[in-house]
Amino acid sequence: MNVQTRAIEVTRYSPERDKEPYLQRYDVPFDESTSILDALNYIKEHIDATLSYRWSCRMAICGSCGVMVNGIPKLGCKDFLRLYDHTPETPIRIEPLAHFSVERDLIVNMDEFLTHLEAVKPYIIGDNVDTASLPAEASLQSPAQLSRYQQFANCINCGLCYAACPQFGLNPEFVGPGAIALAHRYNLDSRDHGKTERMPLLNSKNGVWSCTFVGFCSDVCPKGVDPAAAVNQGKVDSAKSMLIQLFKGSQLQGEHQ
Amino acid sequence: MSRLRGLHFEPLWWSLFSAGGVCFAVFVPAVALVFGVLVPLGVIEVSFVELVGWYQGIWGLIFTGAVLCLPAFHAAHRIRHGLHDLKLGGGSTSAFICYGVAAVFSFTALWAWFTF
Ligand code: SF4
Ligand code: FES
Repeated sequence: MNVQTRAIEVTRYSPERDKEPYLQRYDVPFDESTSILDALNYIKEHIDATLSYRWSCRMAICGSCGVMVNGIPKLGCKDFLRLYDHTPETPIRIEPLAHFSVERDLIVNMDEFLTHLEAVKPYIIGDNVDTASLPAEASLQSPAQLSRYQQFANCINCGLCYAACPQFGLNPEFVGPGAIALAHRYNLDSRDHGKTERMPLLNSKNGVWSCTFVGFCSDVCPKGVDPAAAVNQGKVDSAKSMLIQLFKGSQLQGEHQ
Repeated sequence: MSRLRGLHFEPLWWSLFSAGGVCFAVFVPAVALVFGVLVPLGVIEVSFVELVGWYQGIWGLIFTGAVLCLPAFHAAHRIRHGLHDLKLGGGSTSAFICYGVAAVFSFTALWAWFTF
């Protein structure tokens, strides 16, 4: 059988050994079903065991395999070699996610995103009620209530939107698309009472207001979350919140307080 | 909590920018089409006297706001954030200059309407 191969360039970097990252070329056999992650796994198993990268689920759920493929943020397991040009002279270039610090080869420091995520309290904040004592119906939602936030709940924390966001690239203090989308998701949840706690950060200059509506975050999101919509709906919320604070001297109250 | 804590001007600039964006998309092209193409080509005819009559009334004020002032603030916001993107500024100095120019322009346009 005639096996086709594809040329791939991968960024290599070991902080103890290399002054700066460099590209290394590999030739990888591929067919219709070979993903970028499969290609990396092939390299690690058959060519160069020292290559480092992250992955786990290989089905676009864990969000750990994000890399730049020819300059565009992609999930390695959801992007395929067949989608790229077939000449050996033009290798597919695989690099670590942009705008993050690189720890080794394709592995970046995800804390730079996760600290922002933690700061927006991406979980349901109750009303100081012991939820265990409530009847089960207390947390039921109507389809309409669910549909308000469902799209934003699909985020898998992969960080592709941060690699796509030029404002995050210019200012790493920017809370960023993914975290703001999740803040918005909980602010829209009928069971949540935490909006007052989330708004001060979203209202700040590093919150929703650092966004200039480039929109590339939504283009690259592998789960259709549309973080750009969340951020810009967040601007309306934030403007309301600040007006209320100005006139009433208090923060915007959550929808259900 | 102090009612001013954590407040900044960005929402104000953004509101003017958004309103100006709508004007830029809807009114500015219409005005350009009418006064830049249709009138010079003679497709429609407007008399100068009639125009002056409109301008002196509420239509003049609407024109000033929707075609001059708000688009000016839209442009100022774009330019300021563009400067930030190009790493040429975008901080308080460029904000002062960009919105300042838009404000002076708007005041002049409003003053022209009031004194016409
Ligand atoms: S919003 Fe989309 S791109 Fe951003 S972290 Fe979530 S799943 Fe990834
Ligand atoms: S390996 Fe889990 S998302 Fe790609």
